[in-house]
Order: sequence, then C-alpha cells, then structure tokens
Amino acid sequence: MGKQMTEMLKGTLEGIVLAILSGRPAYGYEITARLRDQGFSDIAEGTIYALLVRVEQRGLVDVEKVPSEKGPPRKVYSLNAQGREYLDEFWRTWSFLAERLEQLREGGKQT
Amino acid sequence: MTAESNEQKNRYLQYLETVTGPLEDKRRYRRHKARVRALPADYRTAVDALERYMQFFGPGKADSLLAMLDDLADLFEQSAADGIPIREVVGEDPVEFAETFLRNYPEGQWIHRERERLADAIDRAADHATGDEP
Repeated sequence: MGKQMTEMLKGTLEGIVLAILSGRPAYGYEITARLRDQGFSDIAEGTIYALLVRVEQRGLVDVEKVPSEKGPPRKVYSLNAQGREYLDEFWRTWSFLAERLEQLREGGKQT
Repeated sequence: MTAESNEQKNRYLQYLETVTGPLEDKRRYRRHKARVRALPADYRTAVDALERYMQFFGPGKADSLLAMLDDLADLFEQSAADGIPIREVVGEDPVEFAETFLRNYPEGQWIHRERERLADAIDRAADHATGDEP
C-alpha cells in the first residue's frame, strides 16, 4: 500500500469500520479480514482495534463479550443509533468531498 | 459534628487515598505484567517494545495509563489466541500503529497539554487582534 493510500485512509478508516458494522455486528479480526477481502491488504489488525476502542469510547457502538473456544472472550461490536447518525454524516461528508474532487479533476482537463 | 472533626475526617480520607489509591494501581499494574508474561515470547517482546515507546508519549495519569495497558494486553492476547502474526497486528509501520493507539488516551499526555496550551495562546492572540476579547 502506497504512502498516499495510507494518508488518505487515515481520515476515512473510522467511517469504513462503522460502515462494515452497519451490515452486521462483528469482532475485530472479522473486520480486518473483511477489509482484506475488499482489497485493503495492508491494514494492521492493531489499527482496526485502536479505532474500535475509539468508537466505543465515543459511544458509537455497543459491545458484547462473547465466549470464544480459544483464548479470551471476544468483544463483538454493533452499531447503535448514535453510530448510525455518525455514519450518515460520514457519507454526506464523503459525497461532498468526492463531488468537489471530481469537479477539480474535470476543471484540470479543460485547461 | 464539629468543623474540626470534619476536617480531621477529610485528612484521614486523604491519607487513606494516598496510601491505598496507588496500592490498587500497583495491583492492577502487576496483573497487567502477569498477563504480558503469559504471552508467547515474540508477542511479549512486541508488547515490551510498544510499552517502552508509550512510556515516553503515553498518558501521565495512572487511570488512563492502566486502561491503555489493559487494552494493549487485550489486543495481544486475542491476536496470539487467533494466531495472527505480529507483523499483521502491528503493520508495516509500528510507529503509525502506536500513534493511532495512543490517541485514545490523551489524559495527562504532555503533548496533549502542550497542544491545548498552544490552542489557548493562539485563541487569546487572535481574539485580541480582532477586538473580540471579552
């Protein structure tokens, strides 16, 4: 993953994680695995975990501890009402940004 | 109850807090150390290295620091149990991971205090320049 990709992901990864949780609840490693399947190959498990700690601190997700066959109980995260609101805002911001960037690109082609 | 005995009680509670507060923190810290010792050797080495870095840049308040250490141990215990390689846990750039992780525990971080100080100083200067100062 290039430097540019890493930098751009920094601001959007939190929204991406919430978007994944909006489908169904998941635990940390499931989220990382799903991101890898979708082509985000170099995302660190620890980075996703840190973001999950953050969205939990901010009350955007509910957490349930589920016993696991191997190792300690897993924390399963699900998006709550506040998280959905936050995610709506994330998508609105994203649309705005994507639209403006597209305009910039089109403008660049004309000159 | 007279004011004097109230004051004495408060002093006694203060004394108790200064004695038992840190003791409970120490217990929590020892529990954390025991969890780290129980990890597979390579994971333990990784946690030790991260803790060292976080000593310099992490929270200065005991509560925040202990919460951070617990979260770090959670991550590595779970990763070891799931067999996730250390490189996948920490990523290509360990500093990047450490910084993302540390941002969750701003309380008592000196860099956090300095950021606030900078923002306050600029607020004052900017308000003064526009005559907005109350």
